[in-house]
Amino acid sequence: MRRLRALWIRLAGLLRRRQANEDFSAEIEAHLALDIDDGVRSGLCEREARRQALIKLGGVEQARQAYRERSGLPWAESLARDLRYSVRTLAKRKGVTAIAVLSIGLGIGANATIFAIVNRFVLRPAPVGDPSTLLSLSTITKGDRCCNHFPLPVYEDVRDQARSFSSMAAYYELIPASIGGRGEPERVWGQGVTTNFFDVIELPMALGRGFASGEVTAPLIVLSEKVWKSHFGADPQIVGRPILISGRTFTVVGIAPAAFHSVDQILDTRFWVPLGVTRQLVANLPADDARDYHWLSVVGRVRPGVTRKEVQAELQTIADRLSRSYPATDKDITFPFDQAGSLPKREKGPVLIFLSALSTVALLVLAIAGANVANLLYAQAVTRQREIAVRLALGATRARLRKQLLLESLLLALGGGLLGVSLSIGATRGLAAFRVPAPIPIDLAVSADWHVLLFSFVLSVICGFALGIGPAWAASRPMLINALKGEDALARSGRRWTMRDILVVGQMAMSVVLLSVTILFLRSLQTAAQIDIGFRSQGLLMLSVDPRLNGYSAEQTSRFLAQLRQRAAALPGVDATVCTDVPLLSGGNRSDGFTVAGHTEKSAAFTYADLYMVTPGYFEALGTSLLAGRGFRGEVAGGPRTAVVNKAFAERLFGNGNPIGQHVNGGHWTYEIIGVVGNAKSRTLGEDARPILYRSLDQSIVDDPSEMGYTLVVHTARNPALLAEPLRRQVFALDPAMAVYNEETMDEHIRAAYFLPRVAATLFGVFGGIGLVLAAVGLYGVMSYGVSRRTREIGIRMAMGAPQGTVERLVVRQGMILASIAVALGWPAAWMLSRVSSSFLYGIQPHDPVTFAAVPLLLTAIALAACWIPARRAASINPTEALRAE
Amino acid sequence: MGEKTDVWQGTLALMVLRTLETMGPQHGYGLARRIEQTSGDLLQLNYGTLYPALLKLEQEGYIRSNWGTSENNRKAKFYELTKAGQRQVRKAAAEWEQTTQILSKFLTEGA
Repeated sequence: MRRLRALWIRLAGLLRRRQANEDFSAEIEAHLALDIDDGVRSGLCEREARRQALIKLGGVEQARQAYRERSGLPWAESLARDLRYSVRTLAKRKGVTAIAVLSIGLGIGANATIFAIVNRFVLRPAPVGDPSTLLSLSTITKGDRCCNHFPLPVYEDVRDQARSFSSMAAYYELIPASIGGRGEPERVWGQGVTTNFFDVIELPMALGRGFASGEVTAPLIVLSEKVWKSHFGADPQIVGRPILISGRTFTVVGIAPAAFHSVDQILDTRFWVPLGVTRQLVANLPADDARDYHWLSVVGRVRPGVTRKEVQAELQTIADRLSRSYPATDKDITFPFDQAGSLPKREKGPVLIFLSALSTVALLVLAIAGANVANLLYAQAVTRQREIAVRLALGATRARLRKQLLLESLLLALGGGLLGVSLSIGATRGLAAFRVPAPIPIDLAVSADWHVLLFSFVLSVICGFALGIGPAWAASRPMLINALKGEDALARSGRRWTMRDILVVGQMAMSVVLLSVTILFLRSLQTAAQIDIGFRSQGLLMLSVDPRLNGYSAEQTSRFLAQLRQRAAALPGVDATVCTDVPLLSGGNRSDGFTVAGHTEKSAAFTYADLYMVTPGYFEALGTSLLAGRGFRGEVAGGPRTAVVNKAFAERLFGNGNPIGQHVNGGHWTYEIIGVVGNAKSRTLGEDARPILYRSLDQSIVDDPSEMGYTLVVHTARNPALLAEPLRRQVFALDPAMAVYNEETMDEHIRAAYFLPRVAATLFGVFGGIGLVLAAVGLYGVMSYGVSRRTREIGIRMAMGAPQGTVERLVVRQGMILASIAVALGWPAAWMLSRVSSSFLYGIQPHDPVTFAAVPLLLTAIALAACWIPARRAASINPTEALRAE
Repeated sequence: MGEKTDVWQGTLALMVLRTLETMGPQHGYGLARRIEQTSGDLLQLNYGTLYPALLKLEQEGYIRSNWGTSENNRKAKFYELTKAGQRQVRKAAAEWEQTTQILSKFLTEGA
């Protein structure tokens, strides 16, 4: 404590140096006066008394020095001096400083961007109270994949029995609804929650309150801050007001803070209602006592002091008990759990692989940039050797010199870090431009927060030390004799390989790896663009409505869609209008298991198939080829169910046999197959041909309505985007309260489906490009430095009669030796690493021969170009001038 | 500066604190003279070294200083013990006593 206090005072003392000096002088003066007084009193003459007093006082200057050092902080002062000196030096060498800051900035920017992504999806805890004790639970029943929702009775059993949790809440993840307020009605998504939900997650409301325990079936609603602002003008009086959700009246009780979208941090939900009223908004919810219908997400607050192991043990005990009590539904059930807000288990693996691949690449970029700057600093050390020799000769210690040189590189790195942070802010904004193909509202926005700032700062400091320490060490040990003679004082005799050569080789080897990955992903994007999606993308416009949200019955919905088709068909230029539930390539839709009717034995052919509802004319409108049988025509709601299947479906269930006229069972229904169409991509571009069963919209809408609403698809020979406004007007003409959403052309829709290959190709392309440019600049720098150092030697060679071509070859050969070593090192490394990327590539192998043949050639070509310019310069040396230059 | 000086500085600090405790507020010159006298002139004190030591004690909060006037009407900086300083004198004195006791035991028993 005492020391801290003293340190503080001394720190403050830095600011009032003169004051301390004057204090000391005054005190010494007083001391002398008193001593002289004493001397005079004891009989000495004034002069003698002063002499004696001065002798007794001892070395005043030493004491003054000690006093000064004590009153301030000497090391802080010398640091400040070094800092001033470093800034001056850097400002003087503008070119070098700019290149160094730019290089490091690009490297750190790349890393900060990737870190921002990692931070968003892996590190950031959910925006709830004390996220570390909030767990999200799921179920796995026998033979199922991880991880399913909870049936309501199972949730209640676990809630009542588990002692490790102080409280537990359940919620229904996605309620589609249309919301009124100002402007056009909008389709939004909300959640149905148990009344204790906001208490369990400990979310402080921005306004109002959450739900109280007696309000299970009360028509109350909590709005997100976003909706509050967009639809209600951030009205501060909104609490207590009634609002319309899907045509029903709800009373607002609270506003959830803007940072909270959902516990899982991915879904972007806008409102919350009590679980008991969810049934009014969602059709087809299971009965409360249904033990086999998994529909609720569950979060639990762990009691203080209870470990994860104890939680796991207790949940296992409960699971075993339930498994015994309800063998029909809960056999071998388990309850896996994770901290709420962490990545969903199912997606975790690939996401982590993708992110670590990106991190590796970003680190490679930084390493290449760092090698560049280190190289530059080595070159600086050479040109500054006179200055350094002089400072050494004047008595500066090597340690002090090193400290100062290190400070310079640290400053460069911090400057780079600053640039990097601004670059990454731009980059994260750019990432937001990518649209994710998903029919549900998800929020993948990445932004740079203080974690990213801290990360960049730490990385900058590490960078500054790592790349500065070598050059600082080398620069502080010049051969003084050489330096004073004006010769190269850093070149040690007998060394063939300099540190700079090694750096360049390392740098280029890393760019071989980087370049391979980049070309791999660019090739992947190129082949992805050639994937046959199985339907046409041009001339199609889509928009979705969900009449059910406005209280329409199934029949009314069916009629509404028919009227809408009729009105749309009458618009000029429209030559086809059809409806479906969800367009293809929306990331996933309903699927069911199918068997051939009448075959119930275990060995019977079985397939999962994605289900789509369509209206007559669908295949013609989308340009999907009809391979056999016929399409839909005028099926009626009550009639025998018919289906059109794709080729993959037919092959799975019927092999080479004729499927037309056969019957298949799936869900709760039997369908007669009336036609076979070509395969189409259903969920993602990368998938293998997936079985699809198309069924009649009018036949399915009653028993099995779509949760996602219905999509109108129109085809025109003109620009489809121009149809958006007229179509919208037709919707509002039929019902002005109908929310219109997902309005896009098929081209836009498919572009979103290219999300993954485009993101990968963009990120890797940018990183690879940066790395390559940096490596080329590095090689160029080393070669031109080599030429400038060998000016005299080259001059002598030319004076002795060496032709220009020989001189050029000499320089180029040296560069190419470095490049070949780099390729020899980097190529095998790239070969091994590329295997990791296999799951993210479309239509090409990780060991793509084109890529691995192109990379060495490309790199050699770039190396040649980087050597060529210095070689030309070498060849144009005028021998007489070169020899005269001393 | 080596270890020797540290020990020396430590003892000097204790001497200063102890002197202030017995004599009350005192200026630098008076302190120096007093320490010399108390030591029976065995100690050759370089008066100059006293001032950095006083500054250190002041920074650590054991003493505080004020400009005042001496008995023969000279302006001088007077030092006085703080509460923390009084505690420190007692603590350091006890420690020092223990050290000398142990050492003297070694020296007498060794003989």
